[in-house]
Amino acid sequence: MSTKQSTLGQLIAALGLDTENEWSHVVRERLVAYALLGLYVFVIWFPIYFIFITSIKPTSAVLDIPISFLPTQPTVSNYVEIFQNRPFELYTLNSLIVASTTTVICVTLGTVTGYSFSRYDFVGNKTLLLSIVGARMIPPIALIVPFFSIMSNPPLIGGLTGSLYDTRIALILTYTFFNLPFAVWIMKNYFDGVPESLDEQARIDGCSRWEGFVKIILPMAKPGIAATAILAFIFSWNEFVFALVLTSSEQAQTLPIAVSLFVADDFVDWAHLAAGGMIAALPGILFGLFFQQYIVSGLTQGAVKE
Amino acid sequence: MSTEKQSLRRKLDRLFVPLTVGPTMLWIAGIIVYPTLKLLWSSVFWTNPIDGQKEFVGLRNFERLIFAEGGSGTVFGLAPDFVSITWHTFVYVGLSVSISFALGLGIALLLDKDLKGRGWFRTAVIVPWILPYVMSGLMWRWMFNSEYGAINGILTQSGLLSSKIAFFSDGTLAMMALVIADIWVFTPFIIIILLAGLQNVPEQLYDAAEVDGAGKVSRFVNVTYPFLKPSILVALTIRIIFDIRALDLVWVMTQGGPGKSTEVWASWLYRTAQVFNRPGEGAALGVVLLAVTFLIVAVLYRVFGESPY
Repeated sequence: MSTKQSTLGQLIAALGLDTENEWSHVVRERLVAYALLGLYVFVIWFPIYFIFITSIKPTSAVLDIPISFLPTQPTVSNYVEIFQNRPFELYTLNSLIVASTTTVICVTLGTVTGYSFSRYDFVGNKTLLLSIVGARMIPPIALIVPFFSIMSNPPLIGGLTGSLYDTRIALILTYTFFNLPFAVWIMKNYFDGVPESLDEQARIDGCSRWEGFVKIILPMAKPGIAATAILAFIFSWNEFVFALVLTSSEQAQTLPIAVSLFVADDFVDWAHLAAGGMIAALPGILFGLFFQQYIVSGLTQGAVKE
Repeated sequence: MSTEKQSLRRKLDRLFVPLTVGPTMLWIAGIIVYPTLKLLWSSVFWTNPIDGQKEFVGLRNFERLIFAEGGSGTVFGLAPDFVSITWHTFVYVGLSVSISFALGLGIALLLDKDLKGRGWFRTAVIVPWILPYVMSGLMWRWMFNSEYGAINGILTQSGLLSSKIAFFSDGTLAMMALVIADIWVFTPFIIIILLAGLQNVPEQLYDAAEVDGAGKVSRFVNVTYPFLKPSILVALTIRIIFDIRALDLVWVMTQGGPGKSTEVWASWLYRTAQVFNRPGEGAALGVVLLAVTFLIVAVLYRVFGESPY
């Protein structure tokens, strides 16, 4: 009897039926997960694919019916033409100058201030930190009226600069408004994760606060600085509303504005718009592909309190 | 010499906090506090469009926007435009946030599994959020184009539909297009935040729940949710307040049209201040937007019972 039972057990085990269930359950779950993720990725990348093939179709072929979903006769003519017929090199330069200057200002101030907020319990520490959190919630668009009037007629520095309307300086100043509080916040949270014993060790070794910060702490903070810099750059590079309000010519207009200029009332020049859009999207795609972990950690540090 | 140097060092050390915090605070005062005060100030003035003269009008800008002046065609005493635009904003934000939250949570749970190629999927999933909103908006406008758009192409060339749909000629369909674009752009943000939150759930608790024979739903409610709650709160708060202020997608896709059927607060504010050149009323709308934002944050944090900082 018992031998018979064990033979049956052996048979089941040999056929892998007992473990098979467990195993196939796991496999099935994974296959479903892959299928769902694959479908999701396919659906969200399809529009990017479609605008990309639009950008490499001959200008006239964009309006062919039936629509071709494959890049027949691929060409770079749309890309060449936007640089020939429109000042795209100036738009790109403006975008680069505005985004990188904003990034340098915000990362520098954000790093030193974030460090002090993390380490020192000075008078007003809590209140100032709370004001930074509050500043992050202010909807930028609510302030287009005051920003327009301030930049057209700047107080204090107005005698020196004149109107800042349609200048890159106006955009840089404005973009620090949303990026600086964010930078302080990310860096504060990042420094909170750097052990304080390192500061103490530096003091014991005879470093001043400045030396300890620059020599010991700053090198530890590189990933946090990278995350802040990448996010500040992307936010400034992509910004549209204030560029729309504060600029009017190619001496300050950035790529998002340049792309929107292909829309003229009822007529849209889709082929060239697609090419311009791909150029504007390039840094984002590259950052996303190569520095994804910094974007994720920056956003997480910036959003979650600890 | 050396004592002199030391006393200088000590002096510089004492100035560490003022020197590192001071400039940032001055910068913030100039670039955030001053404009915000100026916003409040501008909201109580009316600017004559002809000679640019400003006239103090008290709260009349708010009255004009929120309450109808003449009293005809009002909805419970409120201006019809205010009511319909608030409704559009509610629909836009409500649909976009809830759908993208559900989708983002699902994808985050899938990506939290121990799958091969997880990093690759994560990268692929994040990209839409990093692209310029203008480019994304125009891309979707192109996708939904009534003649040459990919969506009409797929529907008609596959034989599913016999005639093409003019998405942007119909208020409801235009709103749907906007919501889809918004979900496409912002779901990655939800995924990132929730995925980070999922890392906080201790693995042993899942094992313990499994031993107790807890089903998937019960495991999510009892194990995952309590740990995920702070991340859910952050994701929802930021999503909602960013959607209320969002102009980019609406402006490049529909400009509030057809008619006023997709006009939301942000596009109304922009149109009032910049297109119609009525800075006083634009500023008044800015004040309303600011107040609503802080109100929403306060309510959300009260509901979830967490401290906002």
